[in-house]
Amino acid sequence: MGKRSSPSRRGIAEWLFLLLIGGIYVFLTLPSVLTIPISLGGSRSVTFPPTEFSLDLYRRFFASPVWTGSLVESLIVGAATAVLATLIGAFAAYGLARGNFIGQKLIGAILLSPILVPSIVIALGVYFYFSQMKLIGTTTGLVLAHSILTIPYVIVVLLSGLRQLDQKIETAAGIMGASPLRVFTHVVVPQLRYSLASAFLFAFLISFDETVISWFIAGTHATTLPVVMYGSLKVEVAPEIAAAATMLSLTSITIILCYAIFQKQEKSAA
Amino acid sequence: MNDISEKRRRPVSGRARIPLDGFGFILPSLILFAAVFAVPIGYVVMFSFQTDEGASLDGYRWILDSNLFGRVLWTSVQIALLATLVSVILGYLLALFLYRLSPRKRAVGLAFVLFPFWTSILVKSYSLTVLLGREGVVNSTLGWFLGYNPELPLIFNRIGVLIGMSNHLVPFVVFPVLANLLAQDRNLGQAAAIMGASPFTIFRRVTLPLSTPAILAATLMCLIISFGFFVTPALLGGRTDVMLANLIDLFTRETLNWTVASAIAVVLLTASIVLVLALSRLTGQQKAV
Repeated sequence: MGKRSSPSRRGIAEWLFLLLIGGIYVFLTLPSVLTIPISLGGSRSVTFPPTEFSLDLYRRFFASPVWTGSLVESLIVGAATAVLATLIGAFAAYGLARGNFIGQKLIGAILLSPILVPSIVIALGVYFYFSQMKLIGTTTGLVLAHSILTIPYVIVVLLSGLRQLDQKIETAAGIMGASPLRVFTHVVVPQLRYSLASAFLFAFLISFDETVISWFIAGTHATTLPVVMYGSLKVEVAPEIAAAATMLSLTSITIILCYAIFQKQEKSAA
Repeated sequence: MNDISEKRRRPVSGRARIPLDGFGFILPSLILFAAVFAVPIGYVVMFSFQTDEGASLDGYRWILDSNLFGRVLWTSVQIALLATLVSVILGYLLALFLYRLSPRKRAVGLAFVLFPFWTSILVKSYSLTVLLGREGVVNSTLGWFLGYNPELPLIFNRIGVLIGMSNHLVPFVVFPVLANLLAQDRNLGQAAAIMGASPFTIFRRVTLPLSTPAILAATLMCLIISFGFFVTPALLGGRTDVMLANLIDLFTRETLNWTVASAIAVVLLTASIVLVLALSRLTGQQKAV
């Protein structure tokens, strides 16, 4: 019915659809990249589009002990969290993928649950608990709390990596007398290296960006970059935020690119 | 690391599973979770039932009596529902677009969804304050077309919160819906086309019904995330856009009433658990089919 007239109408519909998609893409990505031009616009007027080119905001950022201190703290916490979460998460993922024990499904669900529990609830609980343990405002406290938040992602990444491995190799190693731990360290880990690297990077990124829990437990001694940013955005917007935000954005871009490279490597290795 | 699994030897059998359960591999994560996840949540539940004088239901009594809580709860429900609705529509359209691309182009298109997904919410919120202000990019661009700046109030109100939250939530819709669309049997659409159905009819009668489970899952996911939202309402909302998470922050840091803060957190946690259980039932059903 009406088949003859439909192609042109369909053309218009298609065109409108693509226009809409373009709009959605702008809406989705613009807020993530906008800080880069803003940060290069100089400190006299924080606007978009920038009226001049200057690295002034970065100079101000790196001249301020509050901003640089928080950046260093974020890097330390991110790296330590990534190490701890990848290590513990790798063991957990292997146990979940290959093990056979009581409550396996339930334990798997528990280990993934921090993704779905509102951060504010974890933040409040950790705040109460760390107050008593004297862990408020410590790097250790931040690393422990961030690890809980990142381990689920590590497990998800590694479980999908483990699914692609040939289990017969592990079985063969077992038959030849390797203990499960040795099978894990000598057979599984080397094959899983790209997934492990991805998990490590994402754990770092989640910790590096984490705001809510850090806001509650960072105190005055261990403030991370997002905590300083959030505090500043809440009260009065300091111009250095543009520089700080760009650093967060560039970290995200770098890590996504690395992930893409790892995936390609993994595919060509397989 | 002396694992339990290491002590017991593996029997020589051809089984692919670790016969001695492999529980030792899980143990470190369980210890960490008990210490830094279960205990803290236990603290929240415990504190919600006690004041300085001892055990009490004052926190929950406050929740039932207070106008403030009722108002904030209603605000949270409204914002969560609206943000979810907007995100599901936008995310679905985007997934539909990506689905029709060639795998190579799809990877590129998907990268531009992944990038905002992995960008800090603070970065996005900050950019939105620059974009949406009275003198912001959106208003001045509109002003360029109109000849005067309309000074639309797009930020520090409900609209600002909704824009910020939808911006954050769209990727959470794109991923499950795209996975669903790609898993659909393309023959069904082709059969419908052969029988004379127009592309829109195929979408309405075949593609859309088949993707309902993914839409429902994405809806629940968005509700779970948005109901507990903290950063966006605080940075892009106005005085009347306080959500439950912000109320918890207020009672913890300003009012210093840990009992009420904990009781609100328990309400929020319970709501999340109900939504998560609905989600897991849904995805469980999908797998069973």
